[in-house]
Amino acid sequence: MSASPSLYVDRETFLHRLNARSKLALITGVFVAAYVFGDPRWVFVPLAATFLALVAVGGWPNFKRLSFIVVALFLIGFAVWPAFTHGGGAPLLETPLGTLTEREVLFALGRSERIAAFIVGGLLFVTTTSNEEIVAGMRSLGLPYAFCFAVGTALRLFPTFLGSANTVRQAQAARGHEPGGRNPVTLLRSYIPLMIPVFMTAIRNVQTQAMALEARGFDTRGERSFYNKQPFTAADWATAGFGIALAVGAIALRLQGYGTV
Amino acid sequence: MRELVTMWRDTRMIMLVAVVAAVYVALLIPFAGFVIIPGITAVRPGNVIPVIFGLMFGPAAAWGSAIGNLINDIFAGQFGPGSAFGFVGNFFFGLIGYKLWGNLGPLSSNVEPDFRERPVRQFVEFVLIAVAASAVCAAIIAWGLELLGLFPFSVLGTIIFLNNTIAALILGPPLLYLTYPRIKSMGLLYPDLLHADDLPEAGATRAQTAAVGLLLVAIAWLAVGIAISLGLQDVPFAADQAETFGEGGATLQIALGAIAFLIVLGLTAISGERLSKLLG
Repeated sequence: MSASPSLYVDRETFLHRLNARSKLALITGVFVAAYVFGDPRWVFVPLAATFLALVAVGGWPNFKRLSFIVVALFLIGFAVWPAFTHGGGAPLLETPLGTLTEREVLFALGRSERIAAFIVGGLLFVTTTSNEEIVAGMRSLGLPYAFCFAVGTALRLFPTFLGSANTVRQAQAARGHEPGGRNPVTLLRSYIPLMIPVFMTAIRNVQTQAMALEARGFDTRGERSFYNKQPFTAADWATAGFGIALAVGAIALRLQGYGTV
Repeated sequence: MRELVTMWRDTRMIMLVAVVAAVYVALLIPFAGFVIIPGITAVRPGNVIPVIFGLMFGPAAAWGSAIGNLINDIFAGQFGPGSAFGFVGNFFFGLIGYKLWGNLGPLSSNVEPDFRERPVRQFVEFVLIAVAASAVCAAIIAWGLELLGLFPFSVLGTIIFLNNTIAALILGPPLLYLTYPRIKSMGLLYPDLLHADDLPEAGATRAQTAAVGLLLVAIAWLAVGIAISLGLQDVPFAADQAETFGEGGATLQIALGAIAFLIVLGLTAISGERLSKLLG
């Protein structure tokens, strides 16, 4: 089995100790604040706050690992959005293709910061919440047990299949098969000998795993208990309240006309 | 549509959901395929999973694809408000296959999707299904991210549609040819697992109307959405992108998406499936 590629960082911080539900409420508040404002100076506040929190909880290695994606999405958004909004304000750049105005730049910057805030906010959540806590949190939010069980099982199985995929890749390479080719069709077709063993190994286990579950009295309709039950403490109530206040405050400020380009 | 709920009563269907989700993630992460924009998008071989598993595992593949995409977002560091639309988009990516196979009237091959009998007609039917499934997935995600004001519809809609369609068209037929008979002999096709009264009850005419409607609405939603996003002159719906819904996406785009999504939901609700009858 390969090591789990989880982004969870096992630390003893305030955010780590919180219940998954209160963290979700907090992060929703951050998302709403990043969503309702368009002015990059206003969007920068939730972005900077989540980034600082991420670093504080030990998520810097995660951010470094994904920084390429964050930067790429930021730049793509910044390049694309001026073409999809109207101009305004002072012209900043005049080219034969058109003029780039101050409003277009601010609009695009705000949108790119929003993308970054969403990614960093999500990263903060998965850095401080283990897979088991995510599943238990989903259950305590009222999602059906069978659904939570499927998510939990998929989270447990996927590193195994990831390991199988890598083993199959190495085995096929030892036989002289390496996926590749400049033509995308050839490249994609070269993956078929790798995918079939992964599929069939995975699917072959469905019957036996289902029988093993039923032999242990698996029933999705009964009330379930969790070994690792997280209490909803006063700190959780305060955090959830802060998240809701953040969302309501951001919407109220936006309705008053703040934070727009 | 009832089978999407009742399948959760069957242990093997639940295990299939988990396995489809896990295989989807396991193949999305290590096999990055043909990179189009570094860090943003690549033609991934894993994108074939929802389409071919949808044909074989029906509702389990729809849920599995949705959960697999959510887990991929969590592990790829892209978990956020957009993940909700990724969940719904991938759910329909896996759902369309079994709703359409055999229900496309003269365009259907009327045989099991194993590419042994009438391979050319099966390929035509598979192409239509891959295009419809990719289009509805792309339209839902692009609409959602436009609603969130993250990317214009035309940017993501085009990229997701091409990624999904190319992977499904190139890898789908050979993978079905090689895996379908084995999975059938294991007794894991969805008509073998679901109770007969859990399968959707729809007459041939209604099932065909719903399937053709899903195909047309999926393609039309994506095409019109891209046209609106680009502000094409000759498109009657062409909108000023400055007309925004709050600070999210263009109002017209959001309205079109809401209507198209309701139609897709309605057609899904009245649709049937055909594989159980083809199996006899």
